[in-house]
Amino acid sequence: MEYLITLAVLIALNVILAASYNLVIGYGGLSTVAHPIFFAIGAYTTGLLSIHVPELPALANVVLGMAAAVVASVLLAGSSLRVSGDYLLIASLGFQLGLLQLIRNLEFTGGPGGLSAIPGTIVGPMRGPLFLLICGGAALACVLIIRAIVKGPYGRAIGAMRDEELAFTALGRNAMSMKIVIFAIGCGMAGGAGGLYAYYFQYISPDQFEVLASAAVLTMVVLGGMGTPFGPVVGAALLLAIPQAITFLHLPQNIMAPMQGIIFTLLVLVFLFLRPAGILGGKGHPR
Amino acid sequence: MTEILRVEGLQKRFGGIVVSDNVHLSIASGEILGLIGPNGAGKTSLFNLISGVLRPDAGSIFLRGQKIDGAPLYKRARMGIARTWQNMLLFRSMSVLDNLMVGPREYVGESIVRLAFGRAGVRATEAAMQERAMGILARMGLEQTAGSLVVDLPYGQQKLIGLARTLMNDGDLLLLDEPMAGVEGAAYETMQRVVRQESEAGRAVCVVEHNVSFIRDLCSRAVFMAQGKILQDGTVEELISSSVLTELYFGV
Repeated sequence: MEYLITLAVLIALNVILAASYNLVIGYGGLSTVAHPIFFAIGAYTTGLLSIHVPELPALANVVLGMAAAVVASVLLAGSSLRVSGDYLLIASLGFQLGLLQLIRNLEFTGGPGGLSAIPGTIVGPMRGPLFLLICGGAALACVLIIRAIVKGPYGRAIGAMRDEELAFTALGRNAMSMKIVIFAIGCGMAGGAGGLYAYYFQYISPDQFEVLASAAVLTMVVLGGMGTPFGPVVGAALLLAIPQAITFLHLPQNIMAPMQGIIFTLLVLVFLFLRPAGILGGKGHPR
Repeated sequence: MTEILRVEGLQKRFGGIVVSDNVHLSIASGEILGLIGPNGAGKTSLFNLISGVLRPDAGSIFLRGQKIDGAPLYKRARMGIARTWQNMLLFRSMSVLDNLMVGPREYVGESIVRLAFGRAGVRATEAAMQERAMGILARMGLEQTAGSLVVDLPYGQQKLIGLARTLMNDGDLLLLDEPMAGVEGAAYETMQRVVRQESEAGRAVCVVEHNVSFIRDLCSRAVFMAQGKILQDGTVEELISSSVLTELYFGV
């Protein structure tokens, strides 16, 4: 039971991560790979605050984690988008790798060994279900907020910006500030998910925010359906559940170890050929 | 006639190519100015400089007497400079109506804060904008296309949608970049009629166009450009009868 709850919490947090990444890359058309690093910024901020400033309530720590991710994302997007849209891709990768190096080499972040002994906040037998409720609620809220953003007048503007940015700007729309806002919302949500992660698992390690994690979120979004409101939900659930399901087959370790990578790669290839718009993206090519 | 746009000593070069060489220009309200000249003369570049896509190396631009040199592209649009594009740049994944709805100078959908906390106001503004968009489409006889994807329309109608989208701006200055290229038949008539109506409503209109009969029918005044310079400024008849220009442009 404990195991299933942990899996469900993990799925909920990854739904937030994938849905917010989908807002940035699928709807906003902003090329970035660094989404997991904003999850990390939220997780480390929340974790460190809960260790060093115990008088702050847990909710405030998570909110501050989100705020840290928002500030970092505005600085990154604000500086790189001025150069060009493609520059964000390179800058985001550099930012991710650079910050991870920093985390590994600093004393107070726990270095390469990671940050441990984060207070559990909620104790007792109901800890798991309560966390699941909080994380599930947060995931639902994120998905609904993103859906509200991409529908209606704002969504229309986002679509127009993605179609023809020059014409969009020449009509009087401030594309730059819209991009920064979209990026900040997406990254802030990722930071919030990171904060919840830190509280639930009470341990974070820099290794889990590597480029491999970026690839995993991207796979979730692509598989579920980029630019669809519920695609990332399906993608995140699928990608986390499949490896767990395989463990029930009780295959020997030497087959199991490479299995996950093989299945992910296979899934991406199959989808690329048969359903390029993802599971919920309908037939045909993505927009 | 009040002066809407004044351009003074506009200078712009890309490496060795001079696209704008000491250009002086003035357009008044209600006037339709034709901008003609061979390809590469700097006509579209002049539009890009006026609308703010390009920054000039030297010179100044005044809108209603106010200097706008420092304003970026989107702010100039909000001041009332509306333009179309040679290749239209329509929002291809969107419907005709949605293309127009993004066009007003003030767009309610741009601020998340306003969307979250001022829903009633947003709804009212959206409804008003939709009414205005439908009105513009009706003037062009295109109201029944409102729900279609722009890419599903014939080329001539797409050109009209490009114009309709900029009319949502309701600006004092209209810059039309080759509105007639590839347009014929009913769409041609409509384009001509709407452009004339817009100037009669008091807008200053500047048209880049190779179609000489369109220029002759609509424009009271025309400017001939070549190699970034304005070579002549006068009535259309004067320009067409000028032997130097006919040689340069019409090749006769």
